[in-house]
Amino acid sequence: MIVIRVLGAIAFAALIGCGRNPRMDALYVQRCISCHGPNGRGDGLVAASLPVRPPDFRQTVETKSNGQIRRIIAEGRGTMPAFDPALKQSEITDLLQMVRFLSREGRDLQWWERFDTLVVAHCSVPWDAVLGYDDGPEETKR
Amino acid sequence: MKSSGRIALALVTAVSSAPLTPNAFGHPEPAPVSKTAIQRAVTKKEIKDFDLIDQTGNRFEFRRLSGKIVVVGFGYTTCPDVCPLITAAMRSVQEQLTPAELPAVYFLTITTDPEIDSSSVLQSYAKRYKVDFSNWSFVTGAEPALRSVWQNFGVRVQRKARGLIDHTALVAIVDQNSIMRIAYYGTAPQPQMIGQDLRRFLKTKNAR
Repeated sequence: MIVIRVLGAIAFAALIGCGRNPRMDALYVQRCISCHGPNGRGDGLVAASLPVRPPDFRQTVETKSNGQIRRIIAEGRGTMPAFDPALKQSEITDLLQMVRFLSREGRDLQWWERFDTLVVAHCSVPWDAVLGYDDGPEETKR
Repeated sequence: MKSSGRIALALVTAVSSAPLTPNAFGHPEPAPVSKTAIQRAVTKKEIKDFDLIDQTGNRFEFRRLSGKIVVVGFGYTTCPDVCPLITAAMRSVQEQLTPAELPAVYFLTITTDPEIDSSSVLQSYAKRYKVDFSNWSFVTGAEPALRSVWQNFGVRVQRKARGLIDHTALVAIVDQNSIMRIAYYGTAPQPQMIGQDLRRFLKTKNAR
């Protein structure tokens, strides 16, 4: 039973979490494009006026783990805003994946990178709830 | 410009009248912002006293700054466009001040998003800019209290989404008698311009 639920969750995550979608694009336009530019090259409209120019994702993102990128989006860096708590975790995941997509434009992917979005989606599934390990809503929480 | 810059851009004819071009996502996008996209206005508006909360969680009383020249900026920590430029410009002005000038000048950043910008959020934000807290406070508070401050300075604020606010991009110089004397509206305030104006007010006989 657990195996079926796990496989179902992976399939679900793969279906909804993998692949660039309009939700990611909209978030990126709303929160990132002014500095990072339409293709993540660090050439947004205000980029030239910033004290430090935003990086070109093609040169920086591949050297960072998903955890590192997530932390930068959530906690900010230099003049880059910290998007936690303004954004939900799912939205931060969307931006993480968007950054990965933009960093790969025009580049031949390594074989393991093809599975990266699936890994991100997999790691974003609330496994405790899916597997029935959670205790349900906290009734005492106020 | 998607959020805070929108209102500011409306004040800057050269930019607001620029044609929109579609970007890679098919969304309209204004023409590139130039560093001259700034409007400097000479004013003589009294700033009323207000009480807010600073980045350490302590009470902040504006009247305590009487006798100092105050550089006031408006923004919010998750602002994706104009506010980083405003904070960076103010930081640059702070860095330019001589040890003799520092005690006579105070910097104040007033949030336009109290929903997100708690004291601790503001403190983290300020630390990322490496500000000198000896003469700079970042303040937040209850929305009604903030709203009256925004109105007093003529700052329009409109919430678009969680952590996404349209607001007037304003940096102001308030003199030693709590009179707003200079207002800079726009996308890229120039530290040199602010510094020059600041030094002019520092030379007045009321400066401590």
